[in-house]
Amino acid sequence: MIEKIEEIYSSFKNELNALSKQAEVLNLKAAILGKKGSLSEILKGLKDASPEERQKIGPVSNEIKKSIERDIIDKLKAIEFDEINEKLEKNRTDFSLRDSLRELGLQGGGLHPTHQIQREIEDVFLSMGFEVLDGPHIEDEYHNFEALNIPETHPARDMQDTFWFADKKHLLRTHTSTIQIRGMKERKPPFAFVGPGKVFRSERTDTTHEMAFHQLEGMMVGEKINTGHLIYFMKTLLKAIFKKDMEVRLRPGYFPFVEPGFELDIRWKKPDPKDESARHSGWLELLPCGMVHPNVLKAGGVDPEKYSGFAFGLGLDRLVMVNYAIEDIRLLHRGDLRFNKQFASF
Amino acid sequence: MLISLDWIKDFTEVPNINIHDIANDFTMKTAEVEEVKKLNEHLKVIVVAEIVSLKKHPEADRLNLVTFNYGEKEFKEVVCGAPNLEVGQKVPYAKLGTTLPNGITLEPKKIRGYLSEGMLCSATELGLGEDSKGLLQLGKAAVVGQTMLEHLELNQDYLIDVDNKSLTHRPDLWGMYGIAREFAAIYHKPLKNPFDDKWKEKLEKNFTKDKSPISPKVESDSSCLSFWGLSVDGVQVGPSPKWIQDRLIAVGLRPINNIVDISNYVMMELGLPLHIYDRELIGDNTIHIKRLGQNDVFETLDEIKRDLISTDTVICDSQKPLVLAGIMGGANSGVRDETTKIFIEVANWKPEEVRRTSVRLGLRTDSSARYEKSLDSKMTYRTLLRTLELVKELCPEAYVVGKAEYDGLDLSKIPALQIQTSVQYINRILGTELERKEIVSILESLDFKVENSKNDELQIIVPSYRATKDIEGAHDIVEEIGRIIGYETIPVASPKLEVKPITLTAYKNVERKVQDYFSLHANSYEIMTYPLVGEKLLEKAHWSDLNNELVLVNALSQEADRMRPSLLPSLIEAASVNTKNFESFRFFEWGRTYHPTGDEKFFHEKNMVGVCFYSKEKSTFLELLNSVENFLNYVGINFKFQNFCSSKFKNDYIAEDWNGLHPYEKQEIIIRGKVKGALTTIHPLVCRDFKIKGNLSIALIDLTEFTSAEIKKSQSYTPLPKFPAASFDCTVLVEKNKPVASVFDIQKKLKIKDLESMKVVQVFSLNEEHNAVTIRFVYQDPSKTLEPAIIKGYEDKCVATLADFGYSLKV
Repeated sequence: MIEKIEEIYSSFKNELNALSKQAEVLNLKAAILGKKGSLSEILKGLKDASPEERQKIGPVSNEIKKSIERDIIDKLKAIEFDEINEKLEKNRTDFSLRDSLRELGLQGGGLHPTHQIQREIEDVFLSMGFEVLDGPHIEDEYHNFEALNIPETHPARDMQDTFWFADKKHLLRTHTSTIQIRGMKERKPPFAFVGPGKVFRSERTDTTHEMAFHQLEGMMVGEKINTGHLIYFMKTLLKAIFKKDMEVRLRPGYFPFVEPGFELDIRWKKPDPKDESARHSGWLELLPCGMVHPNVLKAGGVDPEKYSGFAFGLGLDRLVMVNYAIEDIRLLHRGDLRFNKQFASF
Repeated sequence: MLISLDWIKDFTEVPNINIHDIANDFTMKTAEVEEVKKLNEHLKVIVVAEIVSLKKHPEADRLNLVTFNYGEKEFKEVVCGAPNLEVGQKVPYAKLGTTLPNGITLEPKKIRGYLSEGMLCSATELGLGEDSKGLLQLGKAAVVGQTMLEHLELNQDYLIDVDNKSLTHRPDLWGMYGIAREFAAIYHKPLKNPFDDKWKEKLEKNFTKDKSPISPKVESDSSCLSFWGLSVDGVQVGPSPKWIQDRLIAVGLRPINNIVDISNYVMMELGLPLHIYDRELIGDNTIHIKRLGQNDVFETLDEIKRDLISTDTVICDSQKPLVLAGIMGGANSGVRDETTKIFIEVANWKPEEVRRTSVRLGLRTDSSARYEKSLDSKMTYRTLLRTLELVKELCPEAYVVGKAEYDGLDLSKIPALQIQTSVQYINRILGTELERKEIVSILESLDFKVENSKNDELQIIVPSYRATKDIEGAHDIVEEIGRIIGYETIPVASPKLEVKPITLTAYKNVERKVQDYFSLHANSYEIMTYPLVGEKLLEKAHWSDLNNELVLVNALSQEADRMRPSLLPSLIEAASVNTKNFESFRFFEWGRTYHPTGDEKFFHEKNMVGVCFYSKEKSTFLELLNSVENFLNYVGINFKFQNFCSSKFKNDYIAEDWNGLHPYEKQEIIIRGKVKGALTTIHPLVCRDFKIKGNLSIALIDLTEFTSAEIKKSQSYTPLPKFPAASFDCTVLVEKNKPVASVFDIQKKLKIKDLESMKVVQVFSLNEEHNAVTIRFVYQDPSKTLEPAIIKGYEDKCVATLADFGYSLKV
């Protein structure tokens, strides 16, 4: 009897292997395990067997029955899997053609390069406790000149080619230093802020001159703020922008709103040691700065006897231009997306 | 400003170090050096040549082929266009490779088929004069083969060119003596003072007891601060000696005659301009300094007629103006070849007046450039005596008639500027730990006097020539110390400050949200357009508001002569730049628009976002509308869209009658009950004027009110439902001429408290008249599972309400 059972199992295995449809498998299952199935039929004969035989056959037949059931389930799973895969095969999509390979017009997006650098610098200063302020583009003489220690008769007004409105009182701000005055008046020392924004000069435009460009003003006022602190913040700023320690030099520079006033240059190129006439070259004038003039502190409502502070101005477009070696400053305002897309965020 | 190192050496010792190091030291401690020049470098290689033969160029009448001997074995030949050629002439020859003062380096060149090796030069080409008509004639005595440097007996001076802008605040540095003082301080060398009391007494011996022929009279309301006049007779006008000419040429001035050259020389040396008159041209020996009193035309010595106004200060004789004060002399009173009697004027003028007149006339001279920087009246007498000294040296026959005559401020009453400060203050501002003696030594090297006072206190007397404007207070003293010790010596450190939290301002917050949303979520590029626009652009965009109240008086061009009233015209223009390069694109600008207020306040700035979506193929309006909706939700602004001008307020952003408005694709943005923006597809007619083909949609959103106050974004939470929701889909017919979203009109009438949402699932075109629109209603009772009967009731109500609005079920 055991032989017969084993024979049934092996022939079942053969038949099962050949099947590929769910119904056929279920039919086969019925043909073996069903009421009139071949295994059931054989097991019916068990009642005539001796107790020893029964004891021997019982576990074997159960084992085989379980194996058959398991094989059936596995087979059904395999068939379903194949069926699904077949469907997937039919619905297969071609993913080779990614958007970046297709002509979909202009893709991606991103900030204007000047604003990217502006935000980077804002974040550096925010992290060091500076607020970020701005002010109006149309200004009056007081905020643009007088409060900044540039009275009407001052020759420095020649240095600033100012756009004037017909009332001769209002103008387009020529520097972000106007933000200093408003910033000081609204605060009590100690305080620190930066002020990025658009400024305007009535200058003939060419590849390096623009009538509208961007500056970032900075100011820190407190009881013991000194020149060494100014250099510290400038070096920190430059490291954040250029991602490395920058060699800087501070030399006298004249700006009416600071005293002492400095020009901060960065080492941009190492000079050729063989070229004697170039031994002090390779510096790039980048940051006018200085200790805030007492008259400016007074205009901002700060007592110059008690407090001191530093201020600096940074040309943002200039920075963008040197950073990316952009040859024409006018590209920044042209809105030509062939330019802007080169600074895409994604 | 050109500094002659040779001249500086008259007054102080210059260390024997590389010239570029000297220039760098000056840059680091005083003012920016732009360039170092070795004077006459080219004259070292240009040699004396003698013309041997001449023949006409066969191809060109005006050109000659010139053969010459220049001291080498072989003769050379060049093609030359000069008119004054003769065999035997001695002329300068510049070989190939020579760099001329105009910057041109000579290279082999064929002129009409003939190779020309170098060139024979005119005076202009060598930088030796203004005669460019023919070759410079060197005379029979010139030695062939000798360099021009040898021939002219010139020495090789170094010139340091300092950026004039960096000297704006330093009137004392507009002469060599002042510069020499800086050198002395930088290199710790003594400064010679040839102008001491003994020198003064020696020169004053030239004065006589005679009555001075002219005594100047200064009107106190004029721009004159001080005025010295001195009459000298027996002068003989002629060329000045070579050493004066050389120095003047070196610093960029043209020698004219000994008297004019003296006035220039003294100005370049001591920094104070002066003027010398032919005394015989002064009517009635009268010198009267006053305001002109009436508008008049005055011919300056450059022979240009200038329009003077009544308030200009002039120096007059008995009838007429002779000199425009502080700026330029007249054509009628200058020194002539036959002049023998002169009148020397050394004066000082109010800087702002000189500046105002010179700016108005567009006439900037060496003199006005100096006066407008605030010169020191106390230096006038020294300058007068130095002038006299040179006149006597150059014209030994000359003699003073009378004495120096003065009018103006009482010079003895100009108080010395004293500054009270302390060692501690200087160290506090610089962040240094300097000793008192270092500070005092630096100040003294710069001619400041420090009075003996207590240890920390510094009582400083400022030299008068630094006190006119430059030095005002203790902060200026800090600069003097800082620059001479060298800013590189200052210890760099972080301040110790209280830690305070910093937040972004409302303005920055909005700005960053605009930038982030549109660049990262709306796939757009941020651009910038000019805040300045021109009438032409506005008219091209059919824009009727020309913002005429905000026009600049000194615009650079008509294309940028006024503030923009809207971003729209500039955005369309920017779009037109890109349509030829891209099938589709999106960009935005976060920028301001400017509006007149018509009152004291003058203007008002709005912070606007302009967004542009373009596609050659299909309409971009819906995409833009979705983007703007998402953006406003992202920022947290409650808003609604509505049809154009359906409220009583007019749209300030796009006028209802603007030609660029699309007849259908347009919406207004309502924020807090006010119109705060608009979206439209730009009308093809306006697009056509910008040569744009395709679909361009633009949104304008005014965010001004959100840049001054923080936006409170309402965010709330409801617990997740514990009971199942029920949903119901139904498909209704909507006429094709009706917007699909009008099915949502039923919401006003549909009063179902458990209605969670109503959304359109699908729209398909059923036939020519109708779309079939599938709508899904979701019902949810938070407190229990909805019973089938209630759900059925809701469904019936939805269907009935749809039917009431004319939307019948699709069967």
